[in-house]
Amino acid sequence: MTIRTIEVRERVMAKNDEIAAGVREDLAAHGVTALNLVSSPGTGKTALLERTLDALGDEITMAVVTGDVQTQNDAERLARRTDQLVQAVITNGACHLDARQVQVALDKIDLDRTDLVIVENVGNLVCPASWDLGEHAKVVLFSVTEGEDKPVKYPKMFRQARYAAVTKMDLLPHLDFNLDQAVAWARAINPDLWFFFTSALTGEGLDEWFDFLRGLVPQRSAVA
Amino acid sequence: MHEMSVAVEVCRMTEMQVGLQRLPDVVEVGLEVGDEAGVEIANLEFCLEALLAHPPFGRGRPAIRRCGGDVLRLDYLEVDDDDPDD
Repeated sequence: MTIRTIEVRERVMAKNDEIAAGVREDLAAHGVTALNLVSSPGTGKTALLERTLDALGDEITMAVVTGDVQTQNDAERLARRTDQLVQAVITNGACHLDARQVQVALDKIDLDRTDLVIVENVGNLVCPASWDLGEHAKVVLFSVTEGEDKPVKYPKMFRQARYAAVTKMDLLPHLDFNLDQAVAWARAINPDLWFFFTSALTGEGLDEWFDFLRGLVPQRSAVA
Repeated sequence: MHEMSVAVEVCRMTEMQVGLQRLPDVVEVGLEVGDEAGVEIANLEFCLEALLAHPPFGRGRPAIRRCGGDVLRLDYLEVDDDDPDD
């Protein structure tokens, strides 16, 4: 047996990152901002998006790309709230979205008529941290029902995110959840993390979230 | 599941390196995986063993070296160059 060694030394994510760079370039060319919402299952990504579409649907042209292992339930929930495009990606078992899936989803979206793309990733705090989708920023959500140690349990995700939303704040009085500790742990991992504290049920903190989204959108009407 | 995606990508990269016809001759796939790569090494090894044992591969095995940081790299391939017709 004659064994030949081929030196490769190539990053496994190189192809995904190349596609992600193309997505980012395409979005930039159209002046579109994209956010990647990541969290555990059940944190409230879809609920936050429902409230967002209700509040800003007439103001901002948003397209949503939802990722689910199975079912289009989230996409169908969101589609009931908006006439704007909701694109569902079923990953068929995969625990994350990848850049190619987002690229294909964006092909179906008229970016010339879109201000903001929000990707609702598969509920998972591990795998989506490793996959660049071409987004401008990750927004990591964690709820007060999950425990304040989420940031230290999943440091890579909190390191990669630029924004964090603590959700289900209406439940805080009923739980033994140390909010200050949660924020401190998250900021120990990522000192630049910008926080929102929200309740999709009561509307707490949503005005700040909506203002943040408004700030991401170029002033097209002012230019026109 | 995440590790299976990584394993499939490693197989795709291997095919890009050696070509489809030579995949049965790949005997070792060397990887470097960092402690902060977000990859469970035993899980990735299991996935690669499963993929490399079957066509279009056949006798490949993974060799994973743990390292620091978030490195996740296909380091080298070992290919059997013996021509059975020689």
